[in-house]
Amino acid sequence: MADTHLDPDVLSALQEVMEGEYPILVDTFLADSEQRLQLLKQAADATQILEMAHSFKGSSSNMGAIRLADLCHELELKAQGQNLSGAEALVAEIDREFAFVRPLYEEERRRSLSASLIIRR
Amino acid sequence: MSVVTEISADGQKLTISVKGRFDFAKHLEFRNSYELPDRAMPSSVVVDLKEATYLDSSALGMLLLLRDHAGGENSDIRVVNSSSDVKKILAISNFDKLFDIS
Amino acid sequence: MIAVQPALESLTILIAEDSAADRMLLSSIVRRQGHQVLTAANGAEAVEVFRLQCPQLVLMDAMMPVMDGFEAARQIKALAGETLVPIIFLTSLSESEALARCLEVGGDDFLAKPYNQVILSAKIKAMDRLRRLQATVLQQRDQIARHHEYLLNEQRVAKAVFDKVAHSGCLNAPNIRYLQSPYALFNGDLLLAAFTPAGDMHVLLGDFTGHGLPAAVGAMPLAEVFYGMTAKGYGLAETLREMNAKLKRILPVDMFCCATLLCLSVQRRSVEVWNGGMPDGYLHSMATGERTPLTARHLPLGVLNSQAFDDRTEVFPMALGDRVFLLSDGVIDTCDANEQLFGVQRLQEVFALNRQPDALFEEIERALRDFGGEARDDVSMVEISLLEPARLNPPAVVYSDSGQSCPLDWSVSFEFRAATLKRFNPLPYLLQLLQEVHGLRAQSGALYSVLAELYSNALEHGVLGLDSGLKRDASGFTRYYQQRNVRLDELQDGFVRVHLQVTPEGEGGCLAICVEDSGKGFDVERVLERPLDPVRLSGRGVSLIRQLGRNASWSDDGRSARVEFYWEALA
Repeated sequence: MADTHLDPDVLSALQEVMEGEYPILVDTFLADSEQRLQLLKQAADATQILEMAHSFKGSSSNMGAIRLADLCHELELKAQGQNLSGAEALVAEIDREFAFVRPLYEEERRRSLSASLIIRR
Repeated sequence: MSVVTEISADGQKLTISVKGRFDFAKHLEFRNSYELPDRAMPSSVVVDLKEATYLDSSALGMLLLLRDHAGGENSDIRVVNSSSDVKKILAISNFDKLFDIS
Repeated sequence: MIAVQPALESLTILIAEDSAADRMLLSSIVRRQGHQVLTAANGAEAVEVFRLQCPQLVLMDAMMPVMDGFEAARQIKALAGETLVPIIFLTSLSESEALARCLEVGGDDFLAKPYNQVILSAKIKAMDRLRRLQATVLQQRDQIARHHEYLLNEQRVAKAVFDKVAHSGCLNAPNIRYLQSPYALFNGDLLLAAFTPAGDMHVLLGDFTGHGLPAAVGAMPLAEVFYGMTAKGYGLAETLREMNAKLKRILPVDMFCCATLLCLSVQRRSVEVWNGGMPDGYLHSMATGERTPLTARHLPLGVLNSQAFDDRTEVFPMALGDRVFLLSDGVIDTCDANEQLFGVQRLQEVFALNRQPDALFEEIERALRDFGGEARDDVSMVEISLLEPARLNPPAVVYSDSGQSCPLDWSVSFEFRAATLKRFNPLPYLLQLLQEVHGLRAQSGALYSVLAELYSNALEHGVLGLDSGLKRDASGFTRYYQQRNVRLDELQDGFVRVHLQVTPEGEGGCLAICVEDSGKGFDVERVLERPLDPVRLSGRGVSLIRQLGRNASWSDDGRSARVEFYWEALA
């Protein structure tokens, strides 16, 4: 399991690509992820879990949340194998990891906003 | 390369070897083999058909073009190593009256 | 010079991705690379956007709600039709099964998450190259199809003209049977038939180099010469010389016409043959069952200049009911799947097995079919029988003058000496002269036959001294005509005189023909004693002259012949 919660290289690449829209991207990601987490907790069968885990894995890897992506991948494999034992525990871990990175993203957001303000002056 | 040319050391004899099917597809290659822009037309020409498998009426036409280019009535063109099939075609068209065929 | 990469044009790219953050990110990346972006959040939306806006490239997330990426890809590919719209799947699917599914539905490539800008850019470029390649291929295909259509149309026009020319003769005469099947749009083999004024039949089967349009180009002038000269009464040799000269003049060096030319004569019971470059024809004798091959002894038409051209023909005896069979090399060159030719041997086998001469055509056709062959060229076959004169009806000649004035009281004399006798046939000219007399037009056929007979007697038996007795059998026949050629070539002295006199007689008139030669003469009384016998091969055609003309008489020991023709007042 990777120790990296947020990969700074990915973040700076994102900032470069998105430019002024970086904060919006972060916001969108956070909003999306919350929704996904909810759906994951409520998911009834393996298929639903699979879809959610897969989707969450994708966007977290794009956003540099490495550990989060890895956890989702584990959950995805479980759901694929139709082996839902331990799935609940994994979902809880994902929840925790997200709670961990979330303030980090918010910090990113604030930092980039003030940086752009400095530039504008 | 299905049409191969060779000029003798003294530049007097041109040998053109045609391999495979001697038909319309070889038109340009055959013409390029005797239309030599930077030297005089050799006085004698040999067309070697040892590896030619087939000859059609466009090949006969190409031989006529060669003959015309090489001096028409005064040309010296020999067609050598024809297989029996090729010889038959040349015989029916009586081209042995125009070319030395062996 | 440094090779410069053409700048990638700005594409319109559709991004179908259900995760909003990912969609936003990807859009920014793609926009930064210089492209226009369209977005969709699920498969159904993706298909709709595609239908309305026609993007050139699609980045498709595999797993999406409402309609997944696979189904959307399938539908988009269907909508795109022939045009290539590359679809790059966005997927972190690692199993090869899932990847295989991407390809199955028409996906062209993958991009894994997390998105790598460099890789994405490279893939877009590569896909765009493919897209443009496909577009070029389609464009060229359409262009080719258009040109092909033009060419086909030109061929249709050529065919229409060609058919008029090729079929304005007497191919529908009852003694001719033919079969022509085209390799391309039309059969470029030329098959012509026409009657001479004497009632003989000239037939030509010709095969130009190439087929289709190029063949038609050469065919028309050739046909004009053939019909024109045959109608005027010219023989094979002169017609051949003219045709060869014409083709030599107008065709490019590498184009020529293989041809077999025949003259069938009921009167002389013979067939005269000239074959330049065509496969063997066959003369089938009903009496003996033998088939004599008519082999090519000459170069095709249009190759040699006039001095070198060889117009020598071969003559064979032909009895009533005998047939001549000609074919073009499309028959022999028919090829089966193993590149085996149908060949002359197989043809000979069909001949050998044939019992009913009338069935020969069908038997050959069936053999070709059974051989399973594919024609590589136009296929033409023709069979001409020698039929009794009553069964053939030469068409009436159409005259182009007003029919009002004509010469009625005149005479003319000609003397043709050795040099002229060798190379000139005066008959067409004499006939044309006589056709100025309207009253004689109805008897053109008989007139020409009699003139021809008198002239050939005078030339062959008189001046050349040939013995008509030679012609009593087939081999003698051949020797006779060979000797004729030899003696004509060597001729130094001698003459044939023709004297024509037209005088009015009552309401109509009378033509007196007198032909003299410088030969030794013959025993007139003995020949005249023979009963009128239309079937004999030999004999001085005396019976013919006596049958067709009036008051035939011979004098000066047979060196001078005289005959008259009469006509009534024209209605």
